[in-house]
Amino acid sequence: MIIVKDLSVDRLDKKIFEKVNLSLTSGNITILKGKNGSGKTTLLKAILNIIEPSFGSIYWKGKLLKKNLYDFYNHVTYISDKTSSLKKLTLKDNINIWKRFFCSNINNSQIETALKTLKLENYLNQKVGTLSLGETKKLEFLRLIIENKSVWILDEPLSNLDESSIELMKQTFEDHCAQEGSIIFSSHQNPGIYVTEEVNL
Amino acid sequence: MKFFNKILFFYYREYKLNISGFQDILTNIIFFFVSIFIFIFSVGPNKETISVIGVAIVWTLLLLSSTLSLKKFYQDDFENGNLLIIHLNGFSYGFIAILKTFSHFLFVQIPFLLSIPIACILLNIESDKLMYLLVSFGIGSLTLSCLGSISSSMNLMNQRNFLLGSVIVMIFSVPIIIFSVGIINMEENFNSLINILFGILLIVFAINPWASGLCLKLSLENN
Amino acid sequence: MKFLVNPSKFNKIADYVFKPLLILSIILFALGLLFSFYLSPDDYQQGSTVRIMYVHVPSAWLALLTYAIMTLYSIAGLAFRIPFGFIINTAVAPIGAVFTLICIISGSLWGKPMWGTWWVWDARLTSVAILFIIYLIIIFMNLSFENRIVREKVVAIFVLVGSINLPIVKFSVDWWNTLHQPATISKLSKPSIDPSMMIPLIIMTFAFIMVGLAIAILRIKIEIISRKSNLI
Repeated sequence: MIIVKDLSVDRLDKKIFEKVNLSLTSGNITILKGKNGSGKTTLLKAILNIIEPSFGSIYWKGKLLKKNLYDFYNHVTYISDKTSSLKKLTLKDNINIWKRFFCSNINNSQIETALKTLKLENYLNQKVGTLSLGETKKLEFLRLIIENKSVWILDEPLSNLDESSIELMKQTFEDHCAQEGSIIFSSHQNPGIYVTEEVNL
Repeated sequence: MKFFNKILFFYYREYKLNISGFQDILTNIIFFFVSIFIFIFSVGPNKETISVIGVAIVWTLLLLSSTLSLKKFYQDDFENGNLLIIHLNGFSYGFIAILKTFSHFLFVQIPFLLSIPIACILLNIESDKLMYLLVSFGIGSLTLSCLGSISSSMNLMNQRNFLLGSVIVMIFSVPIIIFSVGIINMEENFNSLINILFGILLIVFAINPWASGLCLKLSLENN
Repeated sequence: MKFLVNPSKFNKIADYVFKPLLILSIILFALGLLFSFYLSPDDYQQGSTVRIMYVHVPSAWLALLTYAIMTLYSIAGLAFRIPFGFIINTAVAPIGAVFTLICIISGSLWGKPMWGTWWVWDARLTSVAILFIIYLIIIFMNLSFENRIVREKVVAIFVLVGSINLPIVKFSVDWWNTLHQPATISKLSKPSIDPSMMIPLIIMTFAFIMVGLAIAILRIKIEIISRKSNLI
């Protein structure tokens, strides 16, 4: 579905990466590997058309991504390495806001089971600011289920997670791929997740 | 239909955020009233002087206190990545700027609009002038919101001095101040001055999505 | 005309032109000062103070012209993606600020004997003061952003937004009844200024332009060099 051809990005006349090729079809997992500062986040942002590449092109469903931007955005969930849940509000409010804002057709029982598997069901009336780093990270992943879109773009999804949560993520990734979804994520360590394509930056 | 739902729930989100931080808005209004007190103490409690310069005081302090909350305009959403998520949810940068401008108008400027009558009682402004003041502030505050959107989106990546944003708003609000204070002092010219104010509003409103959208794009690109 | 948009060609032409420009500006300044102090008549109303005009008017023109140039180059930089536009923007802003400051100071020196005050809140004076503050904001913006790409584009956007002030400065004397006198020199109609005063004014204007150009060339070269070596 996504094809990236000869993508290069420059910043202040300094090359960040050069001639990256990757293709993502449904049911595939692609991992971006590289050292710190090798441009993993930049590549993800370039795929999302937030950063303009200096050279190369990106295609979505056979058309140029720029011509087809909002259709692409309708099919993609991006989770950055920042905490995007609102710290002043409770978990419940956050979930409600996301659910309505993304016009999702997920019912409450599905969200409850997701909360239970993420072990967050006891914190529902707490403010997000009181949660620990790993718990806020897990809360971010709830957005994947709420948005219910086919392409997942994840920036460092496995950092700050304990081992049982990583197992859970593996399971989630496999389930998503079984449903014809596709995932592209970046990682600086070896995750031990089965991937179909590996891009080294 | 889905698009209108998204807009609706964008405002639901802004409402929730602003309700949780309601003490900030209240602090703004308290700042407004305290500075009115200080103005009166420094001028002296002479009734005639106060009723002459009262409208000008109200307008100046409204401008000052509405620039106080500029830092929150985009900064929070920018830093926790929500701006990006809103964009990925199908709103272009310019449209986000328009939505945010109206949200600033609704949740920051409208409370000021409601506190103007109390300020008028404190400053001995006649009640027939109150209507003019409210109308001019209604138009002027939307203009101020647009200017605030432009200046705070310009200063998103400016870590060193954010005060520049307030200066930008104040320098461009000079014509608004001139004409809206003029409305109260020249009542026979009411319609023509309102038209001028409205014209300024339309100009700034047309510039706003272009300028702030471009600045938002730049800041997100280089963050 | 490619040197107007291309840094390396600009460098070549600038090297060629800089020294003659400096000499010419010194000659013109000497000539202009001679004319404006000794070879021009006193005004029948204002007496000798009219000689302030020979500094005041050229600096005011150049303050506006500098901003107009910055506006044009901002459009070039943003719309046509010519990076030289941003270089000009950062290099030229302080020059415009200095011209505006000269204009304001000489104007208030002129205003004290003529109008009786240093400063009046009339439309022309206020809009020029705002122009000065806009220049200052541009300079401060150039100093306070860390990221160069964001900085130059944001400054260009600000220059474009601030260019609303230009027609207000120019036409403020026509639109409002002000204490400041309306323009006495314009292209469209016959100027209402005597030729004996016109000559020193024109010489001084050219002298100001030459000095401004010389400083601008130096500043632009510094900007190009520091960009090449990634100092900023």
